[in-house]
Amino acid sequence: MSATSTLRPPRRGIRTPHVLLIPAIVILLLGMGYPVIWQIVTSLQQYGLAQQFGKPAPFVGFDNYVTLATNPQLWAVVARSLLFCIVTAALTLAIGTLLSLLMAAVGKVPRLILQVSLLLAWSMPVVAAMTVWIWLFDRRRGAINYLLDMIPGVNMNRFDWLSTPITFFAVASIIVIWMSVPFVAFSIYAGLTQVSDEVLEAAQLDGANGWGRFWGIILPMIRPVIAIVLLLQLIWDLRVFTQITMLKDAGSKSGEYDLLGTYIYKLGTSSEDFGMASAVSILVLAITIALSWFYIRSLLKDDEA
Amino acid sequence: MKRKIGVVALATASLIVLAGCATATPPADTGSKNITLWVMGGDTPDALREYLKTEYASATGGTLTIEQQDWADALSKLTTALPDPENTPDVTEIGNTWSPTFTSVGAFSDISDMYKDLGGSKLLQSFVDVGAVDGKNYALPYYFGSRYVFYRKDIWTAAGLTVPTTLAEFNSDVATLKTAGQSGFYLGGEDWRNGVSWIFANGGDLATKDGSTWKSALSSAKTQTGLEQLQALYTSASLAPVTEADSTPWVNINNNASTGAPEAATIIAPGWAHWSIGDLTPDPKDSTKTVATWNDATFGAFVLPGVDGGAAPVFAGGSNIAISAASKNQSSARELMKIIFSADYQKMLGANGLGPANLDYASSLGDDQFAKALSDSAAGSKLTPAAPGWAAVEGSGLLEEFFGKVNGGGDIKTLAAEYDKKIDALING
Repeated sequence: MSATSTLRPPRRGIRTPHVLLIPAIVILLLGMGYPVIWQIVTSLQQYGLAQQFGKPAPFVGFDNYVTLATNPQLWAVVARSLLFCIVTAALTLAIGTLLSLLMAAVGKVPRLILQVSLLLAWSMPVVAAMTVWIWLFDRRRGAINYLLDMIPGVNMNRFDWLSTPITFFAVASIIVIWMSVPFVAFSIYAGLTQVSDEVLEAAQLDGANGWGRFWGIILPMIRPVIAIVLLLQLIWDLRVFTQITMLKDAGSKSGEYDLLGTYIYKLGTSSEDFGMASAVSILVLAITIALSWFYIRSLLKDDEA
Repeated sequence: MKRKIGVVALATASLIVLAGCATATPPADTGSKNITLWVMGGDTPDALREYLKTEYASATGGTLTIEQQDWADALSKLTTALPDPENTPDVTEIGNTWSPTFTSVGAFSDISDMYKDLGGSKLLQSFVDVGAVDGKNYALPYYFGSRYVFYRKDIWTAAGLTVPTTLAEFNSDVATLKTAGQSGFYLGGEDWRNGVSWIFANGGDLATKDGSTWKSALSSAKTQTGLEQLQALYTSASLAPVTEADSTPWVNINNNASTGAPEAATIIAPGWAHWSIGDLTPDPKDSTKTVATWNDATFGAFVLPGVDGGAAPVFAGGSNIAISAASKNQSSARELMKIIFSADYQKMLGANGLGPANLDYASSLGDDQFAKALSDSAAGSKLTPAAPGWAAVEGSGLLEEFFGKVNGGGDIKTLAAEYDKKIDALING
C-alpha cells in the first residue's frame, strides 16, 4: 500500500510534462521546422521561376554558397548590415537606458506622461509610422528640412536625405531607434525597480556620487536585463526589413541601399532566384546564432554562478 | 540515435511534402462562374472595371472580382500567386516586359485556339510576340501606351523657344530652361524607362540576341553615345534627385501650391498623364484634393524628337493579359477574355486614352493632340528585350542602379562593362 503510493506520483510526474510538451513541439516543428528545412533544401538547389511553376529543381550541392562567398556585393551587404545593427542597437540601448533612468527619477505625473508617449510610439503600426517619417524627411516639403533651414547659417533647403547611403542609413537608424526605444526603456525601467533602495542608500552614505552609483551598483544589478535586451535589439536590427523597403521605395532602388533583409527579398521574389535567396537566409541564420551564442553562454554562466 | 532517426524522418517527410508541391498538376476545371481579375496600378479606369463586371455577370451569371495590384509589388505577387491554384487570379494583366519570362516558364494557359476570335492579326504584333512561345499564344496585348513630352508653353515662349525638331535641339533647349529652382527637363537619375529613349534614339539597345542567347549591350558604341547624351542632359537640365526612378513626374509641371510656380518646364510621361496635368482647382467633392484642368495656353505636348528629326523611339509601355495556367476556372476565364477583346471594350480603352490591343479600334483614341502624340510616339516605340530572364533583370534593380550611377557622373565605359556582366548573368533566365 505504502509502496504503491510512493511510486505513483513520480511516474505521473515524469509522463505528464512530456505529454504537455507535445503540442508546443508540434507547433514549433510545423511553424519553424518546415520553413527552415525548406530553406536548407532550397539553398542546395537551382530554384528559379521555372521551378516555382512546377519544373523539378536540380540539386547543385553547395554551388549557391560558393557563388555567394565569391560575390563582393554580398559581403558589402553583410558588413553594412552588421554595422547598421550594431550602431542602431547600441544607440537604442543608450537612449532607452537614459529614458528609464529619467522615468525612475521624475515624479508620478511626468512619468505617466513619458510612459504614455513611449507606449504610443511602440504601438504605432510600422507602415503608418514610416509614412509619416518619410513625409518628415521629404526633400521638398519635409518638416525636418524646414526646421533645420531656420537655423541661421544652415542651408538645408531641399536637402535630399535619401540620396546618399550615409544619410539614408542615418534616417533609417533614427526611425528604427524611435520604434524600439520604448521596449528597451520599459524593460530596463522594470529592472531598475528591482534595485533595492537600501543598497543605493548605503552607497550614498559611503560617498558614492550619482555616476558611481549607476556604474558601480545599478548597472551590475540590471546587467541580465541589459544583456537580453541588447541581444534582442541586435537580432531585430539585423533582420530589419519594412523600414528599409519603404525608405527604398521613397528613394533609390540601387543595391547600395540594401541590407540583408531587402537583399534577400530582391534576390528571391524580384530576381526569382530562390535558391540563392535561401542560401543568404541560411547565412543570416548563422550570423544570428553566432551573435546570440556569446550572450547565451554568458547568461548560462551567470545562471551557474 | 533515436533523435537522429527523428531528424531524418522529419527531413524525409518534409521532402515528400515539398515534392507534392513541386509536381502540382494543372487542376481540374471546377467550372466556377466566380472569377478574379488582377489589374496593375490605376491604369484601367473605374468605368471600364464596372463595364467588365456587368458584362461578365450578364454573360455568365457569375461574379467578377477585380483586384488591383501595385506596379511596384506586382512582380513578387505574380511570382508567388500564379503557381498556386488556391490563390491565383484567373485572369491577370501583366507588364509587357515581363511577359516573355512568365510565358516561357508556363505560367499561362495556351489560348492559341481563341487567338483568331480575339482579334488575330489585328492585335498589336510586338505585344503578341512577347506572349508567344513556339508559335503558341499565351499572353495577348491588353493596351499600349507610350511616352511623350509635356511642356510649359508659358515658360518656353518666355525664353523664346519653340518646339524642337531634333533631339540635340531638345537637349540644348531644356538645358537653357534650368534655373536654381526649376528643372529644364525633369528626369530622375535612376529613371531608366524614360532615359532609355536616348539610347534607342541613337540606334542603341539594352540587349541583343546572338543566336539563342541574349547579351547585354550597354557597352556597344551606339548605346554609349546615347548614355553620354543622357548624362549630359541630366547634369545640365534636371534637378531631380539622382536616386529618383520612374515616378509621378506630372506633379512637377503643375504649379506648386506653395510657390505658384512649377518644378519643371518640361517632363516626359505616359500619355494618360494628361488627365493629371493642368490648372489646379480644389476638388468640389473632396476639399483635401485638387483637380487638374488642361489649359492649352499654359501647357502643350509634343513627341520626343529623333536624332535626325521625326519621332525618337520611346519605351513602349503597356500590358498584356493572360489566363493563369493554375486557374481552376479556365472556361469562365475564357468568357472574360472574349469580353475584353470585344469591340465595345476596345473602344472604351481608346476613349480613355489607352491604346487598344486591336488596332482596328485605334481611331477610338480620338483626334485631339494627345491622341496624335500617342499614335506618333507609339509608331516608333520599342519594347525591352524579349529575353526569358528580363523580368529578373528588372526585378534586380540593376538598371536603376546603372542609370543612377551614369547620371551621377560615373565613367560610362567602366560602368557599362561592369553592368553588362551583371545583366548577362540574369538575362537568359
